[in-house]
Amino acid sequence: MNKLAREVTIIGVGMHKFGKFMDKGLKDLTRVAVWNAIDDAGIDANKIETAYFANVLAGLITGQECIRGHIFLRDAGFEGIPIVNVEGACASSSIALREAMIAVGSGLYDVALAVGAEKLYLDDTARSIQAMSTNTDIEFMGQLGFQFTGSYSMILRKYMKQYDWTQEQFAKVASKNKHNGSLNPMAQYQKPMSAEDILNSRVIAWPLTLYMCSTMADGAAAAIVCAKEVAHKISNRIPITIAASCLRSGKVTEEDDGQVRVAHDAYQMADLSPEDVEVAEVHDAMAPGEMFRVEKLGFCKAEEVGRLVDEEYFTLNGKLPVNTSGGLAARGHPIGATGLAQIAEVVWQMRGEAGPRQVPGRNSPYPKVGLTQNSGGYVEGSPATVSVTILKS
Amino acid sequence: MTDLPVKEGLFHIPESPDDKPYLIGSRCRVCGYTSFPKKEVCLKCRRNDTVEEITFSPYATLENFAVMQVGSPDFPTPYVIGYVRMKEGVVIFTPITGCEARDDALEVGEEMELTIEKIREDGQGNNLIGWKFKPTRRKTQ
Repeated sequence: MNKLAREVTIIGVGMHKFGKFMDKGLKDLTRVAVWNAIDDAGIDANKIETAYFANVLAGLITGQECIRGHIFLRDAGFEGIPIVNVEGACASSSIALREAMIAVGSGLYDVALAVGAEKLYLDDTARSIQAMSTNTDIEFMGQLGFQFTGSYSMILRKYMKQYDWTQEQFAKVASKNKHNGSLNPMAQYQKPMSAEDILNSRVIAWPLTLYMCSTMADGAAAAIVCAKEVAHKISNRIPITIAASCLRSGKVTEEDDGQVRVAHDAYQMADLSPEDVEVAEVHDAMAPGEMFRVEKLGFCKAEEVGRLVDEEYFTLNGKLPVNTSGGLAARGHPIGATGLAQIAEVVWQMRGEAGPRQVPGRNSPYPKVGLTQNSGGYVEGSPATVSVTILKS
Repeated sequence: MTDLPVKEGLFHIPESPDDKPYLIGSRCRVCGYTSFPKKEVCLKCRRNDTVEEITFSPYATLENFAVMQVGSPDFPTPYVIGYVRMKEGVVIFTPITGCEARDDALEVGEEMELTIEKIREDGQGNNLIGWKFKPTRRKTQ
């Protein structure tokens, strides 16, 4: 694995709260997240030399297909610098962060902005749903009734049969994440919910019920990426190192759809192992998805996950807190903003700024190693793109 | 209503009762990598001169399925989707028909058979025609 030419850090993160904002457009969402990140870093915004803008569906939903970043970042005060538009379905802003890391890590720039923004709520819900069906091959699966709820349903069905995972455990995970979301002022859903209520909600695609699933959302998230050797000169923030940010697409082998391999890539790049991770945000568009993500990431074996859920291993007080933000189903999943929202959460946890949902580190007041995992799209039976990022302080 | 395939070249639509439907894919002459839909380039070898067109056997085994109580626009719920493993090795996404839309109506591993039929209307007066698989309910050896 090739290494970066120099160490790259995150010196600021910011979000626009996730939720339903009928009176706000992508310009508003983008501006708020970007300036929250700039203010968080405490830097002069003129230090930002390049920007990576992630968005998925503005073309289909608002009609703004071209130069999205150039349009939406302009209202945040950016012109003149290189702006690159990034799209990779639900993993878009993880890719934006990775590109910013590569730009700074190569030595070409000292400071880069990564931002993801998405606006899914509008008066025409059918158009939003139709737009979301383009996250797969539209000549193929997209026309045949494919939905991500069905995909998660099938994966979970397999694990239930093979490893005795239960629908009760799925509800426990969803309830745990609803609790975490209730402690997160940036979350779309801030109401705790019992596992029983989740289990008894309407079936969407068995074993999934309504409150296990993410819904539409609006929101934005951003990060200021900076060379380690420059960080202390422009910001008072303790820089959080991007120890790894790795990306794969499609199937890697018949057995691995890329999720295991990309995690392996990331551990190798970071020179760390799954045991080193103290807090993680994983892709759970349907909350029980967390259970197979933790396996793919090497945190535990598939046959252990059910028991670990019962033992509250992944809760805020557990040995490895997962989705402290509430995850995609509770924090919300404005698709192009999700990856950087995961990053923002892990940065807050590592700085000790996560408020009532703060988790401790194993050998330090706050976690020293955090991980995010983010998937996007679906192609011929595999996620189109899979990303794992590891942060280190 | 005009019948319109979801995409040209993916499958054969029977023209008479004796004419059987089949799916069209590709296989690499060098590594054997099989693909549906058909590719011009082998995804394993990454070569563009080794791939040939093949037709698939109409029988497959059910790999997995989901009963959608909430689904895509234009699809009356509940409906069933799933994956079938073709005899030639490749796993294909498919709508499932020929059984009740219930979780206990199908069993993973059971034999399925290809059928080509209407998937849905496209909103412009056309019937979109595509592949589906249905359980054969034959006892497998």
